[in-house]
Amino acid sequence: MTPPATGRSLGLMMCLHCRLTVRDAKLPRSQCPRCRARLHQRKPHSLAVTAALLSAAAVLYVPANVLPVMDTRTLFDNESDTIMSGVLVLLHSGSWPIAVLVFIASIVVPLLKILALGVLLLTVWRGSPRGRLQRSQLFRMVEFIGRWSMLDVYAISLLATLVQVQSFASIIVGWGAWAFGAVVVLTLLAARSFDERLLWDSPQHD
Amino acid sequence: MPAATVEMSPHLGYDESLMPPVILCPACDLAHRHTTPAAGPTRCARCRAPLQRPVHTAIETAIALSICALVLWWLANAYPLVTMHVGGSSRETTLMGAAQGLYAQNYKTLGALVFLTTVIAPLLQIATLLYVLIPLWRRRAAIGQNALIRLLSRARLWSFMEVFMLGALVALVRLSKFAHVVPGIALWSCALLMLCLSALASVAAPEQLWAWAVRSRE
Repeated sequence: MTPPATGRSLGLMMCLHCRLTVRDAKLPRSQCPRCRARLHQRKPHSLAVTAALLSAAAVLYVPANVLPVMDTRTLFDNESDTIMSGVLVLLHSGSWPIAVLVFIASIVVPLLKILALGVLLLTVWRGSPRGRLQRSQLFRMVEFIGRWSMLDVYAISLLATLVQVQSFASIIVGWGAWAFGAVVVLTLLAARSFDERLLWDSPQHD
Repeated sequence: MPAATVEMSPHLGYDESLMPPVILCPACDLAHRHTTPAAGPTRCARCRAPLQRPVHTAIETAIALSICALVLWWLANAYPLVTMHVGGSSRETTLMGAAQGLYAQNYKTLGALVFLTTVIAPLLQIATLLYVLIPLWRRRAAIGQNALIRLLSRARLWSFMEVFMLGALVALVRLSKFAHVVPGIALWSCALLMLCLSALASVAAPEQLWAWAVRSRE
């Protein structure tokens, strides 16, 4: 079976910013003639950059879940919530749809994202040709859901302000929220620097 | 494969009609033969990623949506987001007030972040679109058009409006533990603005903006 014609085999490049197809080599300094973005056959150092960002995110995932994301102080008690205990509070106060939403957005999504990107990196590194289509679809899902993890950070910061303006209670944003925000941003950057075309570059066996 | 090369033309710096008649899949680099404007969205034969979007949208649609978004942005900022009733007193909070409050309580970075992502970013996005689209509609190019289109396509990754909306919803549910919360005009405007912005994201996608830019010079 002959290998399928790709941009690389035909000497063509696509500008990822404006989707223009360009014949490479012919252009000075490999800039897109239409939008002037830098052109690359593949994103430069994609695997190394993604691996670095991903491991930073994985390390910060621990404090993000262990440290409290908010301290609630009322006249009578003082409680500090981690992300998980916040979900439990929501669950006990009867709003289970919101609890499920927060659980998925802040616990399941970041963890799945880190694991999925890790698997993608490893398989590309080993040049594994199996299940490319599934892996490609996995990556697209990771890209799509990534932003939604910021949900709890927004919710907590809004809560903190709205409550603090009143004097009946005070909510303080904990260090966990910062770590969590950093995890979300790092995974977004990691997904952006990963070049999914690498999944299809290894020779085809299946 | 016809041996088309990229020629430099005095206006654009390149000639669109001499581009290779091939579409590459952005996700797997597979080459597809270029067919004259497809009727609907097409997908890659190998990895099923969406290929080029059809370029049929009227520029007026994008302008109308941008103006609509601008009005909604104003409503979202001019009116209170929520009103809280605790005991006998009630208090209103606006979107800007929430960011300001965070800033005043020494959460300077967080305050700035909320302000930038929910107030400034959408406004800049809408204003930039209008600045580029209105001259294009009259077949002219705004000053700095290309740089701005580039900026718009890059800023897309950092638009968190929808996420903020859901976050606000979660915050309201949690707040009802402390106080009686009434959603205000701004909250509904925010929800509509979110819909408007995501419609704009597909109507005025970067490929589409470039297609209009090229057409304006014909």
